[in-house]
Amino acid sequence: MRAVKVIVIGSGDVGQHIARTLSAERHDVTVVDMDPARVESLQADLDALVVPGNGASPKVLRRLGVDETDLVCAVTDNDEANVIAAMAAHQLGAGTTVARVRDDDYFEGDASSGRDVLGIDFVIHPERATAADLAESILLPGSVHVEYFANGRLAITESVVDTRSTLLGRPLGERRIMRPNFIFGIIRDGRAIAAEPYHKVQAGDHVLAAAAREDIREVAAQIAGRTVRVREVMIFGAGRVGLPLARKLEKTDLRVSLMERDADRARYVAEHLHRATVLHEEGVSKEALLAHGVDKVGAFVACAGDDRANLLAALHAKQLGAGLNLAVVSREEFTPLVDALGVDAAFSPRLVTAEAILRTVRGANVAAIHLMLGGGEILEVEAEPDCSADGRTLEAAAAMVKARIVAIVRGDRVIMPLPDARVRAGDHVIVFNPRAGVADVKRGFHAA
Amino acid sequence: MRLPAPRFLPAINWQLVTPVVSGAVLAVALGELVCFVVAAIDGGGGTLAFGAPAAVLIPLSVAGLTLARRLRAAPIRARDGFLAVTLAWLVAAVAGAAPFLIEGTFDRVGDAFFESMSGLTTTGATLVPVLEREPDAILLWRSLSQWLGGVGIVVLVVAIAPATGLASQRVFYAELSGVTAERLTPRVASTAKIISTIYVTLTAAGIVAFWAAGMPVWDALNHGMTTIATGGFSTRTESLGAFDSLAIELVALVLMVLGGINFAFYWLVLRRRDRMWPQAAEVRAFLLIIVAVSAVLTVTLLASDAGLGFGESVRAATFTTVSFITTTGIVTDDFDVWHDFARLGLVCLMFIGACAGSTTGGMKVIRVMLLAKAAGQELQRQLQPKAVQVLRVPGRVYSEGVRRGVLAFFLVYLLVFAFSTLVMAAFGLDAVSATSAASSTLNVVGTGLGTVGPTESFASIPEAGRWYLSFLMLVGRLEVFTVLVLLTPAFWRRSVA
Repeated sequence: MRAVKVIVIGSGDVGQHIARTLSAERHDVTVVDMDPARVESLQADLDALVVPGNGASPKVLRRLGVDETDLVCAVTDNDEANVIAAMAAHQLGAGTTVARVRDDDYFEGDASSGRDVLGIDFVIHPERATAADLAESILLPGSVHVEYFANGRLAITESVVDTRSTLLGRPLGERRIMRPNFIFGIIRDGRAIAAEPYHKVQAGDHVLAAAAREDIREVAAQIAGRTVRVREVMIFGAGRVGLPLARKLEKTDLRVSLMERDADRARYVAEHLHRATVLHEEGVSKEALLAHGVDKVGAFVACAGDDRANLLAALHAKQLGAGLNLAVVSREEFTPLVDALGVDAAFSPRLVTAEAILRTVRGANVAAIHLMLGGGEILEVEAEPDCSADGRTLEAAAAMVKARIVAIVRGDRVIMPLPDARVRAGDHVIVFNPRAGVADVKRGFHAA
Repeated sequence: MRLPAPRFLPAINWQLVTPVVSGAVLAVALGELVCFVVAAIDGGGGTLAFGAPAAVLIPLSVAGLTLARRLRAAPIRARDGFLAVTLAWLVAAVAGAAPFLIEGTFDRVGDAFFESMSGLTTTGATLVPVLEREPDAILLWRSLSQWLGGVGIVVLVVAIAPATGLASQRVFYAELSGVTAERLTPRVASTAKIISTIYVTLTAAGIVAFWAAGMPVWDALNHGMTTIATGGFSTRTESLGAFDSLAIELVALVLMVLGGINFAFYWLVLRRRDRMWPQAAEVRAFLLIIVAVSAVLTVTLLASDAGLGFGESVRAATFTTVSFITTTGIVTDDFDVWHDFARLGLVCLMFIGACAGSTTGGMKVIRVMLLAKAAGQELQRQLQPKAVQVLRVPGRVYSEGVRRGVLAFFLVYLLVFAFSTLVMAAFGLDAVSATSAASSTLNVVGTGLGTVGPTESFASIPEAGRWYLSFLMLVGRLEVFTVLVLLTPAFWRRSVA
């Protein structure tokens, strides 16, 4: 496989994560950052060329050989710098340009429209995408996190096993009451593993399951064992995630309340929402949460700008009796805490950005990537004609790519992995990799 | 050239005041010139009454406008607009009173001023006992004065005379204050032109409609002008009742509603903008109030012993509702004999008024909407003290400044009303008459209950009381603050910029 030449502009959380992932996949990565101290520390830490400089400057870009670069990712903390960098890179002849933009002002409607106006290939809005994930997860009872693949035809849910779940006690292989093989993974102690028939699930385990969109409700409900529909949502932090999330949720029949500590932001958010109640509340105290009825809400979402505050708020909410507990956790070092504190699911804008960028690197036939906080990934790959998996049974194909095949989407039909099912060219194959490693997937589904 | 600033009137910005006042006087004088021509052709009298003021005022105002260009440019301050606009209206009312005195319609200056102010502010309260005895030119002048005042004299001045180089935005916003001011184009002068064009078009349509409904051309001309201006002056003592025609009443009904709709809304509809909100929200609320109040009034009429059938009740209730909410004050039925619930309801309607940016008086529907929302939010705040509340109507979010402004407006409006009621009571009016006289002039309706009721007139009020009411009309027409700031000591202090 040819190494892809990548320039990453900005070495914050997102930039580092991308650089690390791409470098681990043996691509040529160059990182540009304005902060010399950070550059220095990264040089020792990363198998990549790390240079100090302004990535939005055409001079710097030209010196780095932007015209021979396949991918330029502008992921600094500054929207304007990202947009300028991506536009400049595009003008100077870079292959694909990606810019992270967090402010809604640069969007008209959906996230992909940046291309027409600004000449940028992909505009990533990680906070907005995170908000969309959160909204979908809240709206699916029994699920703490749901992702959709193949244009929404296939759903993958992460559900927490409750004491009332029918899954408890016996090995997964003995269960006959549910659709065959829809459970493909278990997350225990924050680590994802592929589910095997001899595995027994315990209360508190997170179970990964796939189903066609129309069946996912039933599947999630059966795994979770409790199916209380969320009617009230409390959102902690009305920032770049909180506002779009509230916007989405207030369009449904849910009752939404937002807590925001900054008075001006609270005012701004209140002006841009219609039904939701905006509360101006300074701290993260239990008293404040209780005063606004956190014990009555079906879902609590902590999505303030600060990971620590989010984790603390989610912990409080859980102890006070909120139903579903979701938190936005951006920094990698906090992810182990998510499971330890009993937060039901964590959502990371950093991973969302990495997903979008990895998709452009991994080739045209990778239609979607979902990175899991615990390290695993779920891919949607289109089987190309004459690829080595074409015509083989799923079991053979899975052995070839050394990963679990979760489901196949053929046209509008979702095919669950029964023993006699075979891969055909044009299928969208959903692959679960408990550990990242992409080369095998390519071998299976790329044209020879 | 520089005029010496008189010591006793410190800090008047002549550069702004002169063109605005001259423009207003010119508008009145041109109206009088039209009446003079009509009087001369018609021969029914009034040639001198209109010829003389026109002959004096036209050169004078043209001189004023010319002079204004040569005045030293002075920095324009917030208060200059208030003074300019209030002066313009006062001087225009004086200029408009002249024909009544010369012709001998009234003997007393106060009566002429009252009639003129009642016309210009589109109040429509009249002191003329029998209209049919007056010369045609006088009747036309009454209608014209309402038509000129309907859209706002200053709007007309700004539209017609932008060349005077006056700071139009200041005076524009002094005449259309607070939430009611709506700029349609980047330049105030072109906004004023648009508004005036819409106004002229609607007037022409109204005149034709009245004529088509069976009115004689002369009456159609007069009623067309006074109805779209939501003024209520008529050519007949019995007002529209004299025609006793359902068709004519319907035309009047539609015209009043059209005059009560925000002129900005017409512009937005014509431009087919998808952003017709929040004006559309106000129009919708305005129409809803009309329908709801008409229905309630109809039921009240049917339930009481007014002796009206269903059709008659609907007709009387709807027409009276529209006449009051648009602050027109055209009377077709003697509502003073109705049930007290209905009578008081009509007084409340006066306060609501129609849409902002229309020709009507009252507090305006948008303010009432915001007030209702603010009140509801205050209640909500008791339960959720930390909730962040936003004042909004569909399509627009209002700042906290607007919330404060609307509440302050409501407070001051009610205080003025309460004070005026007391003043009227001091002049010897009974409680109902005093209340309705104050509300009827403050809201520029022109008809009320009791001694100022539909079958009576303001003639029964003492002369001093009529002077007071004349000024009250102006206070109401300029939405209170513009006039009242002139009464504050701070306004006249030199140091305050």
